[in-house]
Amino acid sequence: MSSPVAEQPARGIPPVAISNTSTLVNRTGSWKYIQPAYHDRVAPCNQGCPVGIDIEGYMNLLREDRVDDARALLLAENPMPAVTGRVCHHPCESACNRRALDGAVAIHAVERMLGDLPDGAPALATNATPRHEKVAVVGSGPAGLACAYHLARFGYAVTVFEAAEQAGGMLRLGIPEYRLPRDVLDRDIDRIVAQGVRIRCGERVDTASAWSELAAEFSAVCVATGAHTSRSLGLRGEHLPGVRPGLAFLRDVNAGARPALGDRVVVVGGGNTAMDCARAALRLGAAVTVAYRRTRDEMPAITEEVEDARREGAEFVFLANPEEFTERDGCVSGVVCERMTLGEPDGSGRRRPVPTGELFTIAADSVLTAIGEAAELPGFPFVIEHTTSGLPVNGVGRTSRAPFFAGGDVTTLERTVADALGAGKRAAIGIDRHLRALTGEPRLDVNAERTRYGVGNMSALRWLGLDPVRRVDPVNTVVGVDDLNLHQFARAARHDDAHLAPDAALAAGFAEANGGLTTAEAMHEATRCLNCGVCTECDVCLIFCPDAAITRAAGGGYAIAMDYCKGCGVCAAECPRGAITMTQDRP
Amino acid sequence: MKKVMIGNHAVAWGARLARVEVISAYPITPQTQIVEKLSEMCADGTLPARFIKVESEHSAMAACIGASATGARTFTASSSHGLLYMHEMLHWAAGARHPIVMADVNRALGPGWNIWTDQNDSLSQRDTGWVQLYCETNQEVLDTTVMAFKLAETLSLPVMLMLDGFYLSHTAEPVDIPDQELVDRFLPSRAAPTKLDVEDPHSFGALVRPDSYMEMRWLQQEAMREVPRLLDAIEVDWQRMFGRRYGAVESYRAEDAELLLVTSGTVTSTARSVIDARRAAGEAIGLVKVKMFRPFPTAQLRAALAGVPRVAVLDRNISPGHGGIFAEELRSALYDLPDGQRPEVHGFVLGLGGRDITPAVIDDVIARARQGAPSGREDIWVGVDP
Repeated sequence: MSSPVAEQPARGIPPVAISNTSTLVNRTGSWKYIQPAYHDRVAPCNQGCPVGIDIEGYMNLLREDRVDDARALLLAENPMPAVTGRVCHHPCESACNRRALDGAVAIHAVERMLGDLPDGAPALATNATPRHEKVAVVGSGPAGLACAYHLARFGYAVTVFEAAEQAGGMLRLGIPEYRLPRDVLDRDIDRIVAQGVRIRCGERVDTASAWSELAAEFSAVCVATGAHTSRSLGLRGEHLPGVRPGLAFLRDVNAGARPALGDRVVVVGGGNTAMDCARAALRLGAAVTVAYRRTRDEMPAITEEVEDARREGAEFVFLANPEEFTERDGCVSGVVCERMTLGEPDGSGRRRPVPTGELFTIAADSVLTAIGEAAELPGFPFVIEHTTSGLPVNGVGRTSRAPFFAGGDVTTLERTVADALGAGKRAAIGIDRHLRALTGEPRLDVNAERTRYGVGNMSALRWLGLDPVRRVDPVNTVVGVDDLNLHQFARAARHDDAHLAPDAALAAGFAEANGGLTTAEAMHEATRCLNCGVCTECDVCLIFCPDAAITRAAGGGYAIAMDYCKGCGVCAAECPRGAITMTQDRP
Repeated sequence: MKKVMIGNHAVAWGARLARVEVISAYPITPQTQIVEKLSEMCADGTLPARFIKVESEHSAMAACIGASATGARTFTASSSHGLLYMHEMLHWAAGARHPIVMADVNRALGPGWNIWTDQNDSLSQRDTGWVQLYCETNQEVLDTTVMAFKLAETLSLPVMLMLDGFYLSHTAEPVDIPDQELVDRFLPSRAAPTKLDVEDPHSFGALVRPDSYMEMRWLQQEAMREVPRLLDAIEVDWQRMFGRRYGAVESYRAEDAELLLVTSGTVTSTARSVIDARRAAGEAIGLVKVKMFRPFPTAQLRAALAGVPRVAVLDRNISPGHGGIFAEELRSALYDLPDGQRPEVHGFVLGLGGRDITPAVIDDVIARARQGAPSGREDIWVGVDP
């Protein structure tokens, strides 16, 4: 074709208004009075996890399809992911910022998927040199096993003493198989043993001499004996045949027994033991009524457990306070309850049940009581501070008397599996710190931010100084939903666990009732993670910066050219995950 | 390959064949299917372009300007109030010499609210510095979309192509889709003379003093002056490769005519059928189709109309207080023709807000032009009782 008309730089000027010189001479950064700070912050799930897992970190690795790395990061903090993926009350999900968008990430299901992956688990990160000290752990529940697991990787020779014939503590004795199949539990325990932990089963430590021998032979002792004594109601008829502690019933069932309960079973209590009793009794063919003295809202049991019990056919009678047990033919025949009403909140913040004087009877062939368990330390010969609710411990699990540390239900801490795993880790860190101090090393400040996610639980990786996640100028503040730019995220519905239908669940007996998520679903669930507070190099800031002052930094992340950043704040406003904040601080 | 498609999809196909790299647009009836089709093409990967969603037409054009500044081939589409909302940015795009191509689906302006066609939306943007091309058929729409990029990028001028709302936008016709390889040969990728570069940052569009400012406007005008010659050259190439050309101005059966209709857009097709019937009846009537309105094709129109006794201009638009806009501009273009060469120009305002312009309406126009008063009197509103 004919020659195109060329741009004529005629008349000594360019055809458009373009500066002759580079605008780099104009250091517009001097205009700003606030400036962006680019740093990683703490996701609320991490702060909310009693175990101290870098949940956001492993979700991010899964998003990048780095499954082995994700599993390594998880196992670095939690020795029992297959267990917690099933039975944890997942406060991480309650804290999840995605709730404000379209439902919390199903963190428990992702954890379960990772925990269930066939073995070939990556080696546990450690930089510790072998230590000469030996440590004893008494009790092989989650607290004791977590303590042993972390101590082993810190370099110590650890021996766990377990009174029962098999390790697991309340996980094995208390939690029914339909929630936690025993092969799943065994695999998690095997992984702990593979770290070099020695578990001596059938060795009960309940005499003064046994405790004294331990204290003499080992440099430190972690007391993790749990709480196994069912609290008594102290009511007339409580000793009738047919009335028994729920925990004893569960122990029988979990050992394979199928006790005869009769047709009608009343479970007294509103906690997880009560729900376990109710669902186990349903599986034995009984009609189950749960009597609880407050209402649904005050029940301490995990929400899902209550819902499952209800779905499977348990009746709930709320505001019912047992007064006595009636007798017929020498056996229990019913529970006389007083109707309660809710009054002012008590010390736990829940509304207190107040008697109304109205009595009614619930017919029963068996009654299972589950109003809590007490911790006991039979034979403990040393002077140690304790209360009716257990042993007080400090932030690293130390009791009032070194070298005794403690964790789990035997302490005054929260009684959940996750809290026990976290307490065991804290005790391991406390023991490591204690023993290193004895050999002249400086006593590290465990409350320093470097050991924690927000004000959450301690991280064993951080204690070792081994955090594998590249963090940009980390700041230990937690990212709330208001710090996020939710407009940047596409809606994606949460995947729900594949629960068996109620009829099928009961027909399946004690086989697992919750199928969890498929691997593909769990992997997709990981992509729902908003990575609160942590830069994923999504380029949004780079795209939006009107001054082109943000560039990709060598080695990852971004660099902000402060000479040219005018402090407009667009990057901070647009960052999807709150990894940039505006500050008045000068660099 | 021929496909039956509506005019809006012809636009989208044209943009796709031109391998646009950035699209930013906001939907508005009757343009919406253009945006929908393009977003589908972007989503399914057949058009590897970045589609930038925005909250308004003003932002759409601003995004196009930014994208074009980086050297990307950039496209948008709008209509009616959406186009008017872009007004400030239209000036900016032209002043910064961004070769953005836009399709405007001609639609009347409210109030009263009206979604049907007339040309007031685009004609009210005539002084923004955009080339304006009015299309008659869906094939012309597709072809013009591709050619517009060649024109725009060669001269660094933005180009707006128009299609009548519903008459073209929503009406399906067989359209030949040119072979992509041939189109690629016709239209290579864009080579921008200046572009944004973060490695060598410069200030664009900053303060310019009166001396330089006027020089820049002169250069813009010089580029506009080049359009007719270049459009003709582009169409020659297009015809050689694809067998079709349109012309900035097209004369149809105009030989020895005593009356020529001047039309634009789809009215042209209706008028062609009327002309054919009249010619068959022995009447010396033809038409001149004006495709290019900016720059105004003064020379071509003078050549086409000189010596014709009467001209009837069909204006589907109105400049309130004056008259039909094509008629105004045509009178001005013919003014200094010598006596005896200068036709009587009869202006007719019709078809506003989508009112149908049927063959009977055109018959009426012809009758009234033949008996009409000399040129210069106020335009006749067809179908409105005075």
